[in-house]
Amino acid sequence: MNKNKLIIAAAGSGKTTLLVNQALAVESGAVLITTYTEANGREIRDRIIAKKGFMPSNITVQTWFAFLLQHGVRPYQSVLNDNIHSHDIGFFLSSEKSGKKLDAEGNPILFKRRPIYWGEKDFLRYYFTSRFNIYSDKISKFVFNTDKATKGELISRITRIYKYIYIDEIQDLAGFDLELIKLIFKSNSSVILVGDPRQVTYLTHHSTKYGKYANGQIKSFVEKELGKRIQCEVDETTLSASHRNNQAICEYSAKLYPDLPAPFACGCDSCKVNDAHVGVFMIKPSEVELYLSTYKPVQLRWSSASKINPNYPVLNFGESKGATMDRVLIYPTNPMKEWIGNNAYPLKNEGRSKLYVGLTRARLSSTIVMNYQEGNCIDGVTFFTFTGDAVD
Amino acid sequence: MRIGKVNIENYKCFEGRFSASFNKCINIIVGDNEAGKSTILESINLALTGVLNGRYLKNELSQYLFNYNVVNTYLESLRQGKNPSLPEILIEVFFDGCELPLFEGNGNSEKVKGCGVSFKIEFDSTYQGEYEALIAEGDDITTVPIEYYKINWKSFARDSVTSRSIPIKSVLIDSTSSKYQNGSDVYISRIIRNDLEDRERVKLSQAYRKMKDTFIDDASVQAINEKISGKAKISDKNLSISVDLSTQNSWETTLMTYLDNVPFHQIGKGEQCIIKTNLAIRHEKSQEANLVLLEEPENHLSHSKLNLLIKAVTDSCDGKQVIISTHSSYVANKLGLENLILLNDQTVTRLPDLPTETFTFFKKLPGYQTLRMLLCRKAVLVEGDSDELIFQRAYMDAHGGRLPIEDGIDVISVKLTFKRFLDIAIKINQPVAVITDNDSDYANKITKKYKDYLAYNCVNIFADDRNELNTLEPQFVDANRADLATLCDVIRVSSGTYDTAEKVSDYMVGHKTGWALKVFESDTALQYPEYINKAVVWCDEQK
Repeated sequence: MNKNKLIIAAAGSGKTTLLVNQALAVESGAVLITTYTEANGREIRDRIIAKKGFMPSNITVQTWFAFLLQHGVRPYQSVLNDNIHSHDIGFFLSSEKSGKKLDAEGNPILFKRRPIYWGEKDFLRYYFTSRFNIYSDKISKFVFNTDKATKGELISRITRIYKYIYIDEIQDLAGFDLELIKLIFKSNSSVILVGDPRQVTYLTHHSTKYGKYANGQIKSFVEKELGKRIQCEVDETTLSASHRNNQAICEYSAKLYPDLPAPFACGCDSCKVNDAHVGVFMIKPSEVELYLSTYKPVQLRWSSASKINPNYPVLNFGESKGATMDRVLIYPTNPMKEWIGNNAYPLKNEGRSKLYVGLTRARLSSTIVMNYQEGNCIDGVTFFTFTGDAVD
Repeated sequence: MRIGKVNIENYKCFEGRFSASFNKCINIIVGDNEAGKSTILESINLALTGVLNGRYLKNELSQYLFNYNVVNTYLESLRQGKNPSLPEILIEVFFDGCELPLFEGNGNSEKVKGCGVSFKIEFDSTYQGEYEALIAEGDDITTVPIEYYKINWKSFARDSVTSRSIPIKSVLIDSTSSKYQNGSDVYISRIIRNDLEDRERVKLSQAYRKMKDTFIDDASVQAINEKISGKAKISDKNLSISVDLSTQNSWETTLMTYLDNVPFHQIGKGEQCIIKTNLAIRHEKSQEANLVLLEEPENHLSHSKLNLLIKAVTDSCDGKQVIISTHSSYVANKLGLENLILLNDQTVTRLPDLPTETFTFFKKLPGYQTLRMLLCRKAVLVEGDSDELIFQRAYMDAHGGRLPIEDGIDVISVKLTFKRFLDIAIKINQPVAVITDNDSDYANKITKKYKDYLAYNCVNIFADDRNELNTLEPQFVDANRADLATLCDVIRVSSGTYDTAEKVSDYMVGHKTGWALKVFESDTALQYPEYINKAVVWCDEQK
């Protein structure tokens, strides 16, 4: 069997469960499970503990950045630059391209009204904040270059520690992350990558390296960039049923990605639900209050700037990835609304992904907050109101 | 898995950097008192366990851990208004012969890829503001501001470690210490704990907890508690007695180890030492290596017990590493000269570093001689028995009858092998004097022969350049020529028959050891040749 594997599957199809089961089946040797978000990391940990009763000592669950910092940066942190031999290197999550040149007051220096950036020659300022926290968008480049400078010692160390390296939410990795994956593929460790090209909600950085593979194109990366000597098996069929979403949610969310195979709701007994309010709904903003108190959905929003009801639980779309909820209430952005009104609307990648993630969190009902005209109809969505019966 | 090397900086007697590497099995550290033998063992144990003198160092940092001179230099330059960097202690242990990628990295002072741990006592930069304020106030600072220090204990991958996570379990067996008169001996419970599998450890703590519960539930304890509670109406709360249930691993600190029903700390130090060593050496966990640090095992041990211990150590050579500090040339000799680490002036030398023929030469010797020279404060090398006796007597006359050995000066009769001993002496910078005859050819037998050694301060050659006085006998007669009669008296020959210097000298040459013994035992003090007197003076000089 090929030791490297990429499994592509839709939301709710059991990708994380597969990783957890694989990890628990390992009898000897250390396993690393890494994923992009803290939330998903917790989810993985919880599932392992739920199954096993405790966290086996040979399994480590870490976010991708924590892993890179501990095993990529620190062991050989001074190989590229001797000045940082004794520093405590920390981490800085940068939401935009990092390393802007600043003036004495700390404001960005502009050139033709655009910020300018430190280049790689200014090593310390390129990679680090003034407190020696490494920028999230450059950390994997740092690791890659350090590995090269140590002649592969860095990756060798990692793959001698972990005989099994499992990466969840692989679609979120990009740029130099992919170079690191390539190096790990080359090692003796067994690697499983799982992901869903539909769910690119975070990217580890904004690098232009391998830009064309950034938007969920991990499969083409594996097929085109590994070269002849590295093998990786791509599996798109094993996980094709959704164990989370019902058929209505599966079908509606599939409209966002017409080119990819649509998952179907698993019909097995353990996945069956018995509930009256099941499917994809739309409610008017005026009824949100009552809806929240009646059905207790988790509210999903774009960012903390979006207006929601603070008395009920809320998550950003990105944060909710990997989680399973009974019901969700989605506050769409304007472009999302455009798409909901007309599926031919060219919704951008990020919005498309986040809407997909939001819709596919729920076991029972995904409800969209949006004004609608009675009498109109939207394919796959049921208009819902408390004043009369549900209208189709 | 074992330790390959240790680097120590500014810790106790080590000013600046000290470095020593170790054999995979037995290592014997020999050296002067105060040379730092114990400090090496102590610091290795500290870096691997975080424990010093049976306690976790974490909350017991003190200025006395720092090298005295380093602290003084720091304080002095503060006083001069400079801004010196705060002293730091570093202990680095490099692992060897193991596959421990978790501990690999370049996070060590040598900045090389290595596998190991680094233990630092350093300024905690979160206190930078406080420290600057302290300096700015300009008050006379007389100590290192230890309250702003922290322990930084990391693997070479710059990842925090704990004694649990370090796979090399070290045991320090220090029979000289009497610090553990009360309660359980931390070291022995550590040894026992290390030997237990996780499963067994859990069972032991459960049994202990059960015992405590039984105690509280006992009818008489409950009755007592009701009584106390009734009497002590201090507040409306309940007062009761119980066992300490708070600490997590309390069995380790409260359970006592017994030997034939005698509490462990009550048995003889020697016996304790043997048991601890055996426990540590017979450690059965295969995945964990064991390092036994044995401090001066010759203390408290009878000769036969010492033999038993040495046998246990030599038999243990499979995966266990032993580092022994000793003063005993017997111990060192038994454990093998090739395992010797000579410690002198913060540098170490191993005998295998010596020129091959010198090493082979010493391997053939019974060993005592070599070690005598290594272990003494100053060594005086002489050619034969009569030279030895005369020098000793000259020394005694100048020191109120004290033998040189009582002052740490060992007089060793080496026949014609001076150069071999000098080869070692220059390696370890051991002060050594050579008292020798000129054999009628001072230019060749002295000047030329020893010219390579005279470059070393530690080597001193004492010989007379008058070729006509070729050996000790004519030299000695010459020194006493003003009063030949007294000399004749002392060596019990007739001053009438032996009435010239030549005659006396010829007699003495014919009775080599005899005359010297008589001089040595005589109540009368004689005159000694100048080169011998000079050697006596040299003994009193500071090195």
